[in-house]
Formats: sequence, C-alpha cells, structure tokens
Amino acid sequence: MPESTMSKGKSWAEQVDEGDDGVLSGVLPPNTEDYDEKKGLKKITEYKYNEEGKIVKTVKTYKTETIKVSQSIAKRKTWKKFGAAERDPPGPNPSNTILSEEIFMQFVNNTDQSKPEEEEDPLGKLKNQKIVQCRICKGDHWTTKCPYKDTLAPLQEKLAEDQRNTVEPVPAAAGASAGAKTVGGKYVPPSMRDGASKGRGESMASQRKDEAATIRVTNLSEDTRESDLQELFRPFGPISRIYLAKDKVTGQSKGFAFINFHRREDASRAIAGVSGFGYDHLILNVEWAKPSGQQ
Amino acid sequence: MKPIMLHGHERSITQIKYNREGDLIYSCAKDSQPNVWYSLNGERLGTFDGHNGAVWCIDVDWNTTKVLTGAADNTCKLWDAQTGQCVSTLETKTAVRSCGFSFSANYIMLTTDKTMGHPCEIFIFDVRDGGQLLSGDPLQKVSIPISDSKITSAIWAGLDENILTGHENGELRQYEMKTGDMLNTSKGHNKQINDIQPSKDGMFFITASKDFTAKLFDMETLEPLKTYKTERPVNSASISPLFDHVVLGGGQEAMSVTTTSTRIGKFDARFFHEIFEEEYGSVKGHFGPINSLSFHPDGKSYSSGGEDGYVRVHYFDQTYLDFRFEY
Repeated sequence: MPESTMSKGKSWAEQVDEGDDGVLSGVLPPNTEDYDEKKGLKKITEYKYNEEGKIVKTVKTYKTETIKVSQSIAKRKTWKKFGAAERDPPGPNPSNTILSEEIFMQFVNNTDQSKPEEEEDPLGKLKNQKIVQCRICKGDHWTTKCPYKDTLAPLQEKLAEDQRNTVEPVPAAAGASAGAKTVGGKYVPPSMRDGASKGRGESMASQRKDEAATIRVTNLSEDTRESDLQELFRPFGPISRIYLAKDKVTGQSKGFAFINFHRREDASRAIAGVSGFGYDHLILNVEWAKPSGQQ
Repeated sequence: MKPIMLHGHERSITQIKYNREGDLIYSCAKDSQPNVWYSLNGERLGTFDGHNGAVWCIDVDWNTTKVLTGAADNTCKLWDAQTGQCVSTLETKTAVRSCGFSFSANYIMLTTDKTMGHPCEIFIFDVRDGGQLLSGDPLQKVSIPISDSKITSAIWAGLDENILTGHENGELRQYEMKTGDMLNTSKGHNKQINDIQPSKDGMFFITASKDFTAKLFDMETLEPLKTYKTERPVNSASISPLFDHVVLGGGQEAMSVTTTSTRIGKFDARFFHEIFEEEYGSVKGHFGPINSLSFHPDGKSYSSGGEDGYVRVHYFDQTYLDFRFEY
C-alpha cells in the first residue's frame, strides 16, 4: 500500500505553458498511471483546471511496499471504509492524513556532561589571563603580529587624528561650562555636570540609555564569530555586550550583529569608523540599532 | 522519523488506543465522532457516528470485532468493528468517563461521573447476554458514595477478575468484579490520576497524574515501584513492550496555555528509562499538551493524541532501536 505520498506542483512557467496548450486544444489530457514494478514506484499524473481556468498538472509518486502480515491483519486491510470515510478512495485521504516534516528524537545525556566542564575550567581561566596585548586590536599577541595591522591600524590613526581636531577648538571657544567639563578633580555641582540639561528622571531612563549606545552591524560574512567582532570594535571603546545572530541549527552567523557600547560617543565613532569598511569580502553596514520593544 | 498526522477530529483528542495486533488505531475526541485508522499509512478506515457529545474513552476487544465508546451524552455504545454500525447503546445517568473490554471480551466495564447529585458508579455487563445490554441491567454495579472521590480512569486487571480504578484525589483501588468488594487501596498520587495503562504482560501498570509524576505500580499489590518526575502535569503514560522504556505525555493544562508565557518544548513526549527513572530523550511535535499516548504493541512505533486535535503516529528511527542506556 502507498506508504508515502509526494505531490509536486510544476513551476508556474510550465503551468502557464501547459495552460495555453490546453486552452488551444480545449481538452484535458487523460490522466495517466505509471507503475514501475521493479522499484515499486507508482506515478499518477492528473490534469485539472484551476480557478483561473488554466490546466494544472499534478504528479503524485507513491512508493509501494509489500509487508508480510498475519492473516487477520490482511483481512482487516480489505474492510470497506465506513462512516465519514465511506466515499474516500483507496489509500490515505490527503485531507485527513498528512505527512509531517522530519523530526528527530532528542537524546538527553545527563551523566556525561557535568564532568568535562569542571576539568576545562582551570584551563579556561589561564586562557583569559593576558600576558601579551596587541595595541591595535587588544588581542592576545604582539602588535607587530596583529592580523589587522594593515586594515585597522591606519583606521585608528585617522580616528585619533579626528578626535584631536575636534577636541582642540573647544577650550578656545568655550567659557566656564566647557572648562568644568575638561578639568578633573574639581567639584562640579550636579546641575553643571554633563547631561544635566537632559532633565530629571534620568535614573528611570538608564535602561534606555544603555540601549541608546547600541549599534547594528549588517552584511557580515557567514564565518564571522563573536571574537572577530570583539577585535573589530574594541578599539572604539569598552563594549558591554555583543550579540551575533546565529542560525540555531548550523551555528553559522546570520549576517548581522548588535554591539552595546558603554558610551554613546564610542558607538557613534564606531559607526563613523567602520561603516563602509571592507571586512572579509563584504562591505559592512553599521547604523544605530532601533530600540527594541515599545516604550 | 516522519510522523504521520491524522486529522480526523475537530476538537482535542481524549484517548487513543491500538488494537492488539497494532494494525489499527482507535481515536476519540471531544467531538462526537470516534475514528479508526490504519497505523501503517495513516489511512482512515472509518468513523463511528451516533454520539451526541464529547467521547471520553474508547476500547477495542482482543480480536478486533467490537468497539466500545463512552461519551458525555450519558451513553456507552458498542459498535461492530468492521462495519462501524452501533450494536447496542447503554444509557447511564451521567457522563461515561472510562470503559473497557475484559481480557476475554466477555465482559465490559464502564464508570460514570459524579454530577447532578448522582454518585460515581462502576457498571459491569456480560456482553454474551443480550438481555443485559438490552435492558441496561448490569451484571454488577458498584456505587461509590458521593462524599468520595470520583473515578477518573479505570482498567481491567488480573484476567477478568478485578477492576483497577484511579481517582480524582490520586487514590488507586482494586474492586473484585464478581462481588463488587474493594480488595485493595493505595494512595498512589497527590492529585488526579489521568491515565492508567498496563504493561504487556499485565504484571505492572503505569499511572499518569496531575501531580507532575508518573508511577509504576505492581498490579497485584498496588505497591509503587518507580516514579518518573517531570515539571508539568502528566496526562498519559505508556510502557514499551520492547525495551525498558516508558513514555510520558502532558504539558500545561489546556486552560492555562494562553495565560502563561510561551515556553516551547513543554509539549513533547518524554522518554524515561523504566528502571533508572531517568529521562533520556524527547520527541517534539504537538502544539498543545499531549492528552493520550500509546506504544504500538511491537514497540517500534508510538502514537500521541494532543489538545491540538491531531494524532501523530511516529515510527522510530534506527537510532532509537539501537539506543542503549548507559549505566
């Protein structure tokens, strides 16, 4: 008996072609049934008009399997259908019997998992201790051996230069308030501090502020890892969180990531610096992340 | 594995059962039309038309000649398995909660709900005596006092001699079929027992309870042997006839699904090792809690019926059949 059904619709182009033919001749081609006894495959080709009056060809392929069963089961197999199924043709009715997609049993292994983790722990601690730090990407190697020496170093220099240019004119032009900003150690009343102009209730907005320093990086290559992003964005300032969207099954990157900076200024510099930057073989697109959820 | 989805019910499934040889699956739901399917390819053989309310329970005799259904329309119907015709109708005062053929199929038992001032009752009929079915005058009747907890699940036990009942308060009881006396009782669970299924040889049975556990008991002594713990109500449990495995199905209660946060993976069938009481695997698929599940008599496939109205027939992959629990 048919064990699995597979119905394949043809591509729309072919349907249109066939539809035209059908309209011209005005007759539906007869339904055909092919049976390949060796392979046990039955192929049923059906033609019918769809709502638009075009001919649709449906090819159903059944795999026939012969299973030896006891007499009583074989006898029951010949029973006539009854009740609501009375008029159903032989074989499963596609409206009642649906073959669902492939799923797998998930095995849980409780005993084996806990031990290796403990063993790995001291090694992991050692790994995090940095003996050598690269000045360019803050990685775990000498500056001269940095893989981003050619790409990131000029970028950083340019950024540093930009910063100098923007910082310098400020003290010259500004008066007392600007002085209060730059001079450290001196008491500054809260009303004079940075961000005082933003108004009250800042403690409530702190969560939002956190989100405000988030940037979205798109057009990442599939091989991108979180560590790569860390290396790429760390030069701009401290990062609180990196979220790289990954495929659940394959673990490959989906091509976009969110980076949370501690400071909004760092984030804006990162946008200015990395947007349009060629990474792997793609050109990165960096912009402010839209706030998640509604406020 | 590629499960076969059987879509013959419009409402949630209440019970599913294989016949003895496993070639047919009987399913009943909260709609009034029980279905029967070929387990091999999911083809629908037919429906049993005639009930007027939710069908709570279904059973088939050992040689697949008769089918028994109990419904909320206060009737229990006996059907011809081949033609789907109703052979006789037994009227009760309240909804029929569980029903079953005895091992020899000479007797049937049914239990009713405690509602509208009527007590919960067990009825036993001799099917060979046509007069009993016609008059509705049972061979044996056991009435459980109104103050007592009602029966939520019941099966035949010990070769046509006893009836095993699971109660709303978690109690298990054994009644002698001939005299109607209570032989044995045991406080099996803390909450309602949703399902009882015997092992293949009838020496043990497994209970599924609302108290988040399923337990394996000795059929004779009602002594609890094993406990399978989960973190949600268990609606149904079945013992594998092939391996030392049990499968549990359940999930949040249907009424609380929409009001609590969506936690995916709560509605999967969970496989435990029968002896070590340890979970080793799970199968996903249903969109709501599983209400009833059952192993195929050969142990190489199982089916589950859910609150989503689908019955899913799963044929195990070779990986399951090759799987050996490490200890």
